[in-house]
Amino acid sequence: MTDRSHRSIHSQWGRTIAHLLGGVPLILLGWQLVQGRLGFNPVESVLRWTGRLALGLLLLSLSVTPIRKIFKISAISAMRKPLGLYAALYAFIHFSVFALWDYQLNIRQIYLEISNKPFILLGMIALLILLVLAATSFRFWQRKLGRKWVWLHRSVYAAALLVILHYLLAVKGDLFSLQGAYTAPLIAAGILLLLLILRIPAIQQCLRPTFTQQEPDQPASD
Amino acid sequence: MKEKPYRSVPLKPGEITPKHLYSTRRQFMKQIGVVGLGALLASCAPANSGDPGALGMVLPGASGEDPADVLTAYEAVTGYCNFYEFTTNKETVDELAQDFVTQPWSVQVDGLVDRPKAYSMEDILAKFTQEERIYRMRCVEGWSMVIPWTGFPLRQLLEEVQPTSDARYVAFETALVPDQMDGARSRMFPFPYTEGLRLDEALHDLTILATGLYDEPLPPQNGAPIRLVVPWKYGFKSIKSIVRISLVAEQPPTLWNTIAPNEYGFYANVNPAVDHPRWSQATERRIGESGRRDTLLMNGYAEEVMPLYEGMDLTVDF
Repeated sequence: MTDRSHRSIHSQWGRTIAHLLGGVPLILLGWQLVQGRLGFNPVESVLRWTGRLALGLLLLSLSVTPIRKIFKISAISAMRKPLGLYAALYAFIHFSVFALWDYQLNIRQIYLEISNKPFILLGMIALLILLVLAATSFRFWQRKLGRKWVWLHRSVYAAALLVILHYLLAVKGDLFSLQGAYTAPLIAAGILLLLLILRIPAIQQCLRPTFTQQEPDQPASD
Repeated sequence: MKEKPYRSVPLKPGEITPKHLYSTRRQFMKQIGVVGLGALLASCAPANSGDPGALGMVLPGASGEDPADVLTAYEAVTGYCNFYEFTTNKETVDELAQDFVTQPWSVQVDGLVDRPKAYSMEDILAKFTQEERIYRMRCVEGWSMVIPWTGFPLRQLLEEVQPTSDARYVAFETALVPDQMDGARSRMFPFPYTEGLRLDEALHDLTILATGLYDEPLPPQNGAPIRLVVPWKYGFKSIKSIVRISLVAEQPPTLWNTIAPNEYGFYANVNPAVDHPRWSQATERRIGESGRRDTLLMNGYAEEVMPLYEGMDLTVDF
């Protein structure tokens, strides 16, 4: 049995909040599904909501470390893994709705959708990355892979980028002239850009006066 | 003269089903009889199409396994609308459009015509006999409906204003009322919404100006008080809440074509063989049904409209 006595009360709170953020929408979606209250295009509604939840939770998970460093709340690191796992869960449900509920495992139609169009393929690759990361999120794998684990889990940024591209390709309009239904994906892209900028060591050097503890980048302890 | 490919069905009082019975598809089917629906739609079908469907209806391009074209429930038709001047959320347009003022209304018909005129809705309803037209509607986003419109052929209006011999296209414009439309000032859409048809498309019997649906005047979210319905094209061509119709010599700009010309063509004919650049158009989701169905060439109206496009490469002129 793993010794969890070192977990602070704040970490517990952080974890609880993460589970609420991730779990409550799932319960709400399930409830609406059972009640038949998903609107006139329920497949579209669920795809849209699971997609937004997956992306939102992924971005939240990616913001844990920058927030920890800037606001010096070490307990927040406990949220990173559960948020990431929920993101992977919603991404998996999102894909399952597409393949099972929408296309009813009709391989011919699914193939028609993804052949020579990157939109869905990009999403599928992002999902694959998230599933691999979810599967290797346990301490067993951290020990087994050592430094390679950190390297592997940095691919979460690639996944986030792919998800945003997938979203941008899904909406109607012209990206280059910013005409069309681009509000939501652009906000997500902006947030990801900010989070990426906050990872750059030079930027962190500039923000260093606001840190009181200079903590090396470490994987979450649980 | 080509034989009319369908029957116009003038409304008889006995055929009007009370609206509360529309609320479930099953109840509606019981009341009006599916065979009646089938006859209306089947008369749109070419004589030599596939095997009869399960209910004895022959639908263009349908195999024996394809489900029939059942009317989409009134709640869905009026509760799921794309009207970006109000909002991009399809399910809240009805709420947001409630205060849209549609009376009095004027449709300015001008341009290359001998007798330009501003029509009020009273003029239009008095002059042109409204008839029921049950059409499939296919959105470019990949969903579709079957809607019982009330309207009249655009051709009748155009014949009254007498286009000159220079007129080649018909341009349409939607009302833009920022005080009543939350999204009207959005920088992401170059409103007012505009659309256009080639003159022969506008004169085609299938092209109607609709003033109602399900035997009621159009609700604001569906484009009250008058809109275009061109059933063989993607839904965005069926422009709503028309304030102006102009006959012009050059192909007019249209909103989606202006935003993304390589994605939304001027013709926008429903065609499963011509994909959107970023996603496929081979299948669609019928609102109210589960699973997907194959999209039909020209939305199932190929026999009636393909002659308009003879000699054209539909992958180029999409």
